[in-house]
Amino acid sequence: MDNGNDNILEMYLYETNTLLEQLDGILLNSEQANTFTEDDVNEIFRIMHTLKGSSAMMEFQALTTIAHRIEDLFFVIREHSMDAIPEDLHHELFNLMFLSTDFFRSEVKKIENSEPLSDDIDTFLSDINSFMQKINGGGNAAAQAAPAKAAPAASASSTGHILHVFFDEGCGMENLRAFMLVTSLSEAGLDPTYEPSDVDSNPDSASIIVDKGFLLHFTSSEALQAAIEVVKGASNIQTYEVLADTDAEAPESAAPAPAPALNTVKEDPVPAPADTPVHPAVSGGTPTNAGANRTAASKQSLISVNLSKLDSLMAIVGEIVITESMVTSSPDIRGLKLDNFTKSARQLRKLTDELQDISMSIRMVPVSGTFQKMKRIVRDMSQKLGKKARLVIEGEDTEVDKSIVDSIGDPIMHIVRNSMDHGLEENVEDRIAAGKDPQGTITLSAAHTGSEVIITIQDDGQGVNPEGVLAKARKNGLLTKPESEYTHKEILAFLMAPGFSTNKEVTEYSGRGVGMDVVKANVESVGGTVSISSEIGKGMCVTLKIPLTLAIVDGMELSVGKSIFTIPIHNIRQSFKVSEGEVIHDANHGEMINRMGSFYPIVRIHDLYQIDTEITNIEDGILVWVDSGELSYCLFVDELLGEQQVVVKPLPSYLNNFNIKNSGITGCTIMGDGNISIILDVANLYMAAQNGNMLH
Amino acid sequence: MSTESMDMTIDALTGELVHADTLMTKYLTFVADDLLFGVNASYVVEIIINHALTSLPMTPDYVKGIINLRGQIIPIIDTRLRIGHPSAEHDDSTVCIIVLDIDGTHIGILVDRVAQMVDIDETQISTGPVSDQQLVSGMISLADGSDTMLVLDCARMINEV
Repeated sequence: MDNGNDNILEMYLYETNTLLEQLDGILLNSEQANTFTEDDVNEIFRIMHTLKGSSAMMEFQALTTIAHRIEDLFFVIREHSMDAIPEDLHHELFNLMFLSTDFFRSEVKKIENSEPLSDDIDTFLSDINSFMQKINGGGNAAAQAAPAKAAPAASASSTGHILHVFFDEGCGMENLRAFMLVTSLSEAGLDPTYEPSDVDSNPDSASIIVDKGFLLHFTSSEALQAAIEVVKGASNIQTYEVLADTDAEAPESAAPAPAPALNTVKEDPVPAPADTPVHPAVSGGTPTNAGANRTAASKQSLISVNLSKLDSLMAIVGEIVITESMVTSSPDIRGLKLDNFTKSARQLRKLTDELQDISMSIRMVPVSGTFQKMKRIVRDMSQKLGKKARLVIEGEDTEVDKSIVDSIGDPIMHIVRNSMDHGLEENVEDRIAAGKDPQGTITLSAAHTGSEVIITIQDDGQGVNPEGVLAKARKNGLLTKPESEYTHKEILAFLMAPGFSTNKEVTEYSGRGVGMDVVKANVESVGGTVSISSEIGKGMCVTLKIPLTLAIVDGMELSVGKSIFTIPIHNIRQSFKVSEGEVIHDANHGEMINRMGSFYPIVRIHDLYQIDTEITNIEDGILVWVDSGELSYCLFVDELLGEQQVVVKPLPSYLNNFNIKNSGITGCTIMGDGNISIILDVANLYMAAQNGNMLH
Repeated sequence: MSTESMDMTIDALTGELVHADTLMTKYLTFVADDLLFGVNASYVVEIIINHALTSLPMTPDYVKGIINLRGQIIPIIDTRLRIGHPSAEHDDSTVCIIVLDIDGTHIGILVDRVAQMVDIDETQISTGPVSDQQLVSGMISLADGSDTMLVLDCARMINEV
């Protein structure tokens, strides 16, 4: 039982989050046009309707009420069309809508964390109410301030195109059947109001429907005709009758309290809802239509899968790949001539390769979701900070492993906020004086390069002042050599030191000094690197290099004594043999080598890890020149065994007790023969070597 | 092969004890440097021997390394070294590992040999003079009077280093 409820809740959360994302997209696009197209209004109406229904089903009262109220609001907007709303209220409307999506998000977050939902929605409700009053003008104030459900019901009862539906006797759950009917009518583009109006939330309404039937109100006779077609097609409907004749005689006089002025306006200019889906000439309609088409198509061809299932799929596929090579390279068959076996083995190889590719591609998702969220941040911040800025997005279709997408969202958000807050100039005058477009631009782009994804966040703001950074570094005691010796690159690297923030004051968005170092830590935790480039006066560019996937790495296997280690190929620059004479010794018994005009330290793995090996003479082994970020040095190993794609397995959590990560070990992988190879982290390995030297 | 036969031995041992009182808890006993230890059988996943160990650098000496147990990576602790006793002269053919699942954490303990399954009345375990002993949460005399069993403190083993 519990499991079933969990599933429903999971579906609800997934659906709600998807709808909210869709809603955000519509709002952002519409805000640029400063109006809602008719399609947008319909779409928002539909989204709110669904939210209302599903929230009511889950008994989330606050969400239901707010969704209902916004649905009402958009009902009014749809009736009047956007043109009826004064220009100066548009801005307020957008803010109200953004507030509402924020409200939904925060509530959904609470549901996800199983925290209690907020009951205090009164202020927000009254905001919506007062806005609806403004739209309707002072005259209708009284009518619109009426309780939530009265609004659509009242306005509809005056229209007089009514369908009276009875369900089959004893079919049960009449309220749900009625709600399903309403839903299918909505899908057909007809949005009826109905009585009883609480079928989706109140089980008692079933008996009312049984007694009195289910009343559907339509805005026009065309809609009514179209609805009859739908009702005919629905199941479990015993009879239906059109009540339009009696009521339509005197729609105005029959209407109760609400001001008739409003309703008369409504009847003529608004096209029949049944026609609304076809409106090609709407301004800015093309992108929205494309978006709508895409969602329509995706509904049929996409399913949502729990990520943990994909994780275990990936793990099993990794096992299969390994087992396959264990079988085909088994020592038992070595040297035998087995034609049929070899043939089948080759076929199996091909299939497992394909299987691996497919299971990897399943986990790949485009970065567009993460990028789109930044639009909202730029919008909010440019309003709050009073800076004009736009966000340009490039390459949002670039696909990355799902777990990586999840972990780069926060870093990108930090950087975008930084750019908005510190990067772009405070005053428009400064920008104009520097010959720039008064509106700042932040460019967010993603691109593939082989095994990596490169994400750049670039702004055309004031750039980083190296002297300011140096001064701050001096104040924080971060300098380790004379100031004049720092290169531009090294100075910029200070920006990513813990607790470093050049901003003098803490603002709402950044300046707490937990910005870039967190970014760096997060990106490094998924095996990526961060680099900053900046030219004063021209802006700043942060580049994130991130591996496509965490699960599989191209590695170089190397041996030291009996141990086998794997180093990610992307860390390796070169490998070479040296003669004793080329090695340079320093005062601390350290060894160095001169390559291409620079000196690089040598780390002997057998010394560091105290592994017994016969190869201790530098001429017998081989040097592997590795680099990671700013770091570059050489590792001394016995021999290189070859390149191999390996499935990364995390080390058991028990070993974290020993700070195993600090000794340069990030994980391990199972080799073809079932033995384990340890995957080294080049950066941490060097730190471990340095610490080891200090102890000596 | 030998793993299988060991499993069979365990099955046989447990088979003898099915009639045990419900108040009794099953313990698996093993020997490390002539000390008889017991671990609650509910923690025991399996017993393996002759498994290739991959040693891990820069860890305490009692962390013998990791093994690949059907795709699962499991850390191995040498019980002797863990309790501060001298290590036995293992050659690879006599390595005997008990794989434990302690609240979701898999860990293997290297022991000299596995003894038997016993039924223990946990209320009889004395916790008196053991507070300063490494990894021992209690002691109890076995019902047949042959020996005294030290109860392995699994929680401390995975949480303390």
